[in-house]
This record gives sequence, C-alpha cells and structure tokens, in this order.
Amino acid sequence: MKLRRTRLYIPGNNPHLVENAGLYGADCVILDLEDSVPLGQKFDARILVKYSLRNVDFGRSEKWVRINSLDTPFWEKDLREVLEFVDVVNVPKIESAEDMNRLDAVMREIEKEKGIEERKVVPIIETLRGLTNAREIAKHPRVVALAWGGEDLTAELGIPKKKALILEHVRAEIVIAAKSQGKMALDTVYSNIRDEEGLFEYARRARYMGFDGVGVLHPNQIEIVHRAFRPDEDEIEDARKIVEAAERAMREGKGVIALNGRMIDKPVLERAKKILAFAEVE
Amino acid sequence: MVEAGTSEKGDMRVIIEEGPREIVVKSKLERIYGEAIRRTVEEVTAGLEAKITVEDLGALDWVIRARLEAALRKFRGEGE
Repeated sequence: MKLRRTRLYIPGNNPHLVENAGLYGADCVILDLEDSVPLGQKFDARILVKYSLRNVDFGRSEKWVRINSLDTPFWEKDLREVLEFVDVVNVPKIESAEDMNRLDAVMREIEKEKGIEERKVVPIIETLRGLTNAREIAKHPRVVALAWGGEDLTAELGIPKKKALILEHVRAEIVIAAKSQGKMALDTVYSNIRDEEGLFEYARRARYMGFDGVGVLHPNQIEIVHRAFRPDEDEIEDARKIVEAAERAMREGKGVIALNGRMIDKPVLERAKKILAFAEVE
Repeated sequence: MVEAGTSEKGDMRVIIEEGPREIVVKSKLERIYGEAIRRTVEEVTAGLEAKITVEDLGALDWVIRARLEAALRKFRGEGE
C-alpha cells in the first residue's frame, strides 16, 4: 500500500532546497511551482524543476509537482515541461468535474505525445464550489487523493481562517468525499514549524478524522507526523490477526474470513491492512 | 538582455546579451570549478552569437544546465 502520510513542500525555484528534498524520508516531495514561486520566476522554476526531476535522487519519496491553477496562464506550460518526469500532479483550486476534464485533456495530449503512462492527480479543494463538487472530483480515474486548503474558502465566507469553526466540517466533507470514491484524503499543513507537540496532536487528530496524511513545510515535521500516524500496539496486534486470518482463509480456499467465530468483512480487512501499512509492518 | 537564476546559495545567475560570442565565468570557486563550468556553458550555448555571463554560487551541473536553458529560451523569445 502506498503511504502518503507526509508530503514535503519545496519551493520550485530554490536549487539548494530541491537538491536535498529526498534526504528526509517524506512519503512524497512536492516541488512547488505555485505560491512559493513569485511572478517573474515561473519560467525559470519550471525548467529547474524539470532538471531536478531528471537528476536529483528523491529517495523513496513519491515525486509530485504542484502546478499553477487552471485560472492562470501557467498551468499548461507547467505540465508540458514537467509531466513526463512526475508521479503525481498536484493541482490547486479544482472546483468541478469540468475542471478535471479540462486538465485530463491536456495531460492526455502530452502523455500521448511523449509516449508515457497516465499520471496521477491530487486536486486541492479550496473553494465552496470545489467542496460542493468534491465527490464528483474524487470520482475522476486520475485522482488518487483529495487535498484541501482553507484560505480562499474562509475568505469567501468573510471569516478569519484561524477562527473558522467551519473548517472542521470541511475536513469531514473532504474525508467523506474522497473515501466514498475509494481515494485517499490528505489534510493541510500545520504551519507553526516550531510547535512539535501541537503538530503531533494535529496529525493524530487528522488520522482519527480519517485522513491518510498531512502536508509538511519543514523536514523536522516529518518524523513527528509519521509517529502520530503510527497505530497503537493493540491496533497493530488486532490488525495482524485479521490479516493472518485472511491469509489462512485464502490458503484453505474458504470464501469467508473468520476470526474467533466472528466474520471479517472486506472493509475491516482493508482497515487492518492499512493499519499495518501505517505501522510499517511487512 | 535576458537573465535566469538567482543569487542564492547553490544557484547560478545567467545573463545573455546581444553582441559577439564571449563567455564570462564569475565564481568564488573559479580556481577549482571554473574550467568545468566554462565547458558546460560552451556545450549548452554552442553556436550562440552573444555575450554569456554566468555568476556561480556553488551550483551543481544540473542547476547550471537548467539556468542556461532558461536563459537561452528567453533569449530566443519565450516568455513566462
């Protein structure tokens, strides 16, 4: 099972940070062409990101690029430059299935031209319209996870983000929309990079909310999040028993998995596998 | 005149100006890396009739190539 507990944001136009991005063991590295790259540097950044994807060892991290949003003149150029070399395209401000189709058409064209496999997409839901259409967006076959951001959304509501109670509801909506389509749900970043305890609590809460990971802004946050996502020993033990029972049933050719006289349904088995993956148990 | 790159650590700033072909390499580590940088600049910009100035801040080869490509493409008229 692919883990996406941590995705480390790296400004795309900073060679020093890009060079070292794979050293920290994040599950995913996001080379950013959007917010961290000022206007006037977009051109240089997308070429630098292309070269880094071809030359830098990102270790075991999945290679993501956050392109610019579909309402800018940059996103198509971003894709044409880097798509060939990425695992996942992270796209801000996706609002509808039509947005996904627009993106898909350009990606398809490039993939055909370059003779490459279909690339994955993680859309970022950042607006009320996006949230309303989140299930439709998650349904798109390219989408492997939904991510979200609260800045635009709270601005639309006219409330300060830090005090916005509605964000708990938004989180739940994101999880439900993603999971109902069998996709991952990814929580946003914890921006106070000095507050380790706060981050641990935040990531723990994200896990119990149903998220599969959170964004990280600093390498020091990675280990803390991985620890927060590690299941408790009793969770691991239960999960191990369930998976063993499933393997036993398979060996014995039984269609039904049973453990201590209790039937194990598919979602329970899937949860057990996920817990073991989070525990990093083979 | 076009520019690419920044003056940050690990980066390279490339400036291309109209004029006869000339390559200027500025680097604090010129004695060690000057020749290697010059070779890369020669190779990537081969045939370009212009003045090419590079200011190196400890850039790795892939960074040098990325910044040169960006500057070259801007010089040929590509925009953001």
